[in-house]
Amino acid sequence: MSLPSNVNVIIVGGGTAGWMTAAALAKLLPTRCSVHLVESEAIGIVGVGEATLPHIRAFNERLGINEAEFMARTRATFKLGIEFSNWGAIGDSYIHPFGAYGRDRGELSFHQYWLRMRHEGRPVAALEDYSFACTLARLGRFGMPSTDPDDIASTFGYAYQFDATLFAPYLRDLAEGLGARRTEGRIVAVHRDGESGDVRSVELESGERIEGDLFVDCSGFVSLLLGKTLSEPFQDWSRWLPADRAVAMPCRTETALTPYTSAIAMESGWRWRIPLQHRTGNGYVYSSGFLADDKAAEALVGAVEGEAIADPRLLRFQAGRRERSWVGNCVGVGLASGFLEPLESTSIYLIQQAITALIELFPEREIAASDRDEFNRIIDLEYDRIRDFLILHYHATTRSDSPFWDYVRTMTVPDSLAEKIELFRRRGRVVKYREGVFLDASWIAVYLGQGIVPEGHDLRADAPPLGALERGAETLRAEIRAAAARMPDHLAQIARYCPMAA
Amino acid sequence: MAEPISEVVVVGGGIVGWSAAAALRRRLPAVRVTVVAYEPDPGALAERVVSTLPSAIGFHQDIGLTEQDYILNAGSVLRSGTRFTGWNGDAAPYVHAYAPHGQMLGGAHFHLAWIRARLEGCGGEAFDAYNMAAAAARQGLLVPPGADTGAAPAGAEFGLRIDPARYAYLLRAFALHLGAVERKAKPVDVTLRANDGFVESVRLDDGSEARGHLFIDCTGTAAAIRSRLGDKFEDWSRWLPCDRVAFAEAATAAEPSPLDEAVAMPAGWRWQSAGAETTSLGYVYASQHLSDGDAARALHEACGAEPGTPVTLRQGRRPEPWLRNCVAIGDAAVCLEPLEWTNLHLAHSAIDRIVSMMPDRGCAPVELWDYNRQCGAEADRVRDFLICHYAVSSQPEDPFWHTAAAAEPPASLALTLTQFRERGRLPFFEEETFSRDSWLAILLGQGLMPRRSDPLADAVPAVEARRAMEALRRAIDAALSKLPGQGAYLNHLARQSAR
Repeated sequence: MSLPSNVNVIIVGGGTAGWMTAAALAKLLPTRCSVHLVESEAIGIVGVGEATLPHIRAFNERLGINEAEFMARTRATFKLGIEFSNWGAIGDSYIHPFGAYGRDRGELSFHQYWLRMRHEGRPVAALEDYSFACTLARLGRFGMPSTDPDDIASTFGYAYQFDATLFAPYLRDLAEGLGARRTEGRIVAVHRDGESGDVRSVELESGERIEGDLFVDCSGFVSLLLGKTLSEPFQDWSRWLPADRAVAMPCRTETALTPYTSAIAMESGWRWRIPLQHRTGNGYVYSSGFLADDKAAEALVGAVEGEAIADPRLLRFQAGRRERSWVGNCVGVGLASGFLEPLESTSIYLIQQAITALIELFPEREIAASDRDEFNRIIDLEYDRIRDFLILHYHATTRSDSPFWDYVRTMTVPDSLAEKIELFRRRGRVVKYREGVFLDASWIAVYLGQGIVPEGHDLRADAPPLGALERGAETLRAEIRAAAARMPDHLAQIARYCPMAA
Repeated sequence: MAEPISEVVVVGGGIVGWSAAAALRRRLPAVRVTVVAYEPDPGALAERVVSTLPSAIGFHQDIGLTEQDYILNAGSVLRSGTRFTGWNGDAAPYVHAYAPHGQMLGGAHFHLAWIRARLEGCGGEAFDAYNMAAAAARQGLLVPPGADTGAAPAGAEFGLRIDPARYAYLLRAFALHLGAVERKAKPVDVTLRANDGFVESVRLDDGSEARGHLFIDCTGTAAAIRSRLGDKFEDWSRWLPCDRVAFAEAATAAEPSPLDEAVAMPAGWRWQSAGAETTSLGYVYASQHLSDGDAARALHEACGAEPGTPVTLRQGRRPEPWLRNCVAIGDAAVCLEPLEWTNLHLAHSAIDRIVSMMPDRGCAPVELWDYNRQCGAEADRVRDFLICHYAVSSQPEDPFWHTAAAAEPPASLALTLTQFRERGRLPFFEEETFSRDSWLAILLGQGLMPRRSDPLADAVPAVEARRAMEALRRAIDAALSKLPGQGAYLNHLARQSAR
């Protein structure tokens, strides 16, 4: 048997995607690849205060990252979910929790019993009151989940809200410590093999050529290799996700430090609010077909709660993905391979999934088609499933106060989503995938939070006597309230666990 | 709100029918259940195959049957897996046990370390030697839940070997106890509603009718009710050419082994599954390559038993088991040879879905679509798993085996095989019945070697990996002395439930 070849990996771009890729490859495949990252300090990174999903904890753990140190360096806060305001109708508010409703241990999901009590006309509290994560979030508290599965305080997960412009440098230290090389410079040309079309090298302004076996395109929206050089077609999803601009502006944190991200629906899109230790990230995601840039900036400035720290900054994008994320010897990770608006904090998740798949399918110098095809199959599925979940947020609404909401409310959605909605509307059934990013509770939160109320319920919910069910629900709610009240205040938890350097 | 289903008619009074009735009564108590207790046709394998997968245990727990009921009272024994003889050419028989092979090593699954050691020429032992339950089963020992296996990973699951007559009796008694109503009659005709083609009633040979909102067809391969609404069938015989099953019986001579035997034969394979008193024997073969007479002689020669008239089998599935207000389950929905004992499993799984996806009387197409999609995905992957046994076998001389191995696999199995051949990776599928360990047991047991070793496994120093593999082998050997045999464990269960 021949010795495994050492693959020379060139990473193009040093933002969050680039350094996450570099750190992961250097850490997990030290004997199989050498990692060389090319970036230019002259090119900014898109990272605007990033909100994440709980999956990132597994990624950090695999890289051996110390949580408290990482949170302090990136000025992070804890995140229990996302609060959606004004989506189903103006004045509405619900939380999409990173946790279960009820205990989620019986044969039947708690929301089915809840639906039955409602259908029988019993007085029943909001579903949110039966979720430990939601209750904790509303109270502005945070403590680590219990490891005892009998404890109600074990029924949630968490993610982080952190400064993405600090995450990349943090990972850079880690990656360079593990032997990754970095070259500073702007890429002015990409050279390809005349026969295979593979990328052979990138040429810098200085004239230096950097050669490699495998190129990872982390160049962001520019998509330097995948898009510009290899011309991989882009699948445009803007008919379902018409937002194509964001204006961002950080401000001082003046209100409470919420352990959740806020997504507030606006006239022609929505506004994010991500509280970090040192500042709050704000931005307005909108559709340029429905709103002028200056009006958007004006609306954002008018809406932010604290004193602005910078001027509004404009970002342009288009929802969709490249037909294939891995073409020839070039793998797109992050924005270079596709874009979905940050409504459900999926950007870093998608980066992470691409890196995980790349490691699991890491090729030899001679790249096998089976590795490439499988990578693309996995990544396409991820994009497509998140797409449906995002479209649901726009489509499930009664809002008719602007042309934008009229459009999304009445547009035709993909069949895959229409079927899911119909199944929930009938008896609260969640079509899920074992491998999907969002669990049942996520779908339930959005459906119910945005007015898709099931007509019926699962017949199994009729098995227990109604009185026992009501008493059980009341006990659960009291237990959640009591346990949540024992958790520390979010700010106090941060001050004790991971305060940023003064 | 639409009207809920409150009257269900189960047609077929075998194991599948009574199981459906018991599950419905237990889990949806508001639903009244009538069972038209007509004997399913002899070709219904879910009624006859004695071995089940571990999922049967969960099914029993869900409907409220205890070990006392489904093991001790029903005369079942426990099984840890299957030993495959002759499927891998001249290599020693391999064992597929329902248990993990080793633990993660560094960041990589155990099998990747094993493959790497093989590719580097310092092989260690056969793959199943690193499976606690397989090693135990070879010596007639079981790994009970919570058994002390020291440093060796436990996590073994049991399937059952049932006595079909006693087992059907138990389920009937249980379903009746739960309030199901039995009508001993034979269905002779089906009346469809004029406006929408829904089943209105099933006419019985005693002149009466059975009416309901939903009809569950458990009549076996004929699908007496469901076929009246349409008979579309997806044929799998180009991949699974066996179309005959000969059954025989013998008295169980010794303590029943935890392993079923599946032995490759020139035109198919034969089994031996020892129950408490009776051992089930059989020969599954392709009539194109072997006459019924020769098959009977071959079975007799191999194990001394005379088979009855063989059952004819047409492997495949109904693309839409649930149409309008009629759902086919068991052999009425999917027909597969007994290899890997999935027949009753697929029926249980369908029953679970009917309970959890019960629509209202309108049986909205979108709800049935979801049911059919899940059943289809599950059956297709079970099919793939069975085909895999033939696709990676190595008996090039026999025309039967040669043809079976040469058939181009379905796309989903092709993906599994391509991925595995490259570097030992197994892609994920929704609704998969068999775990990664089960797939590995077959693929590596039959000697399919990936082209290269996985980079994640290579990240662990070779010496360290080898040491961990040796330590695991020693831990398994050390644990064997503490494990019970079949008889000892059943006695233990009996004592426990007497308390």
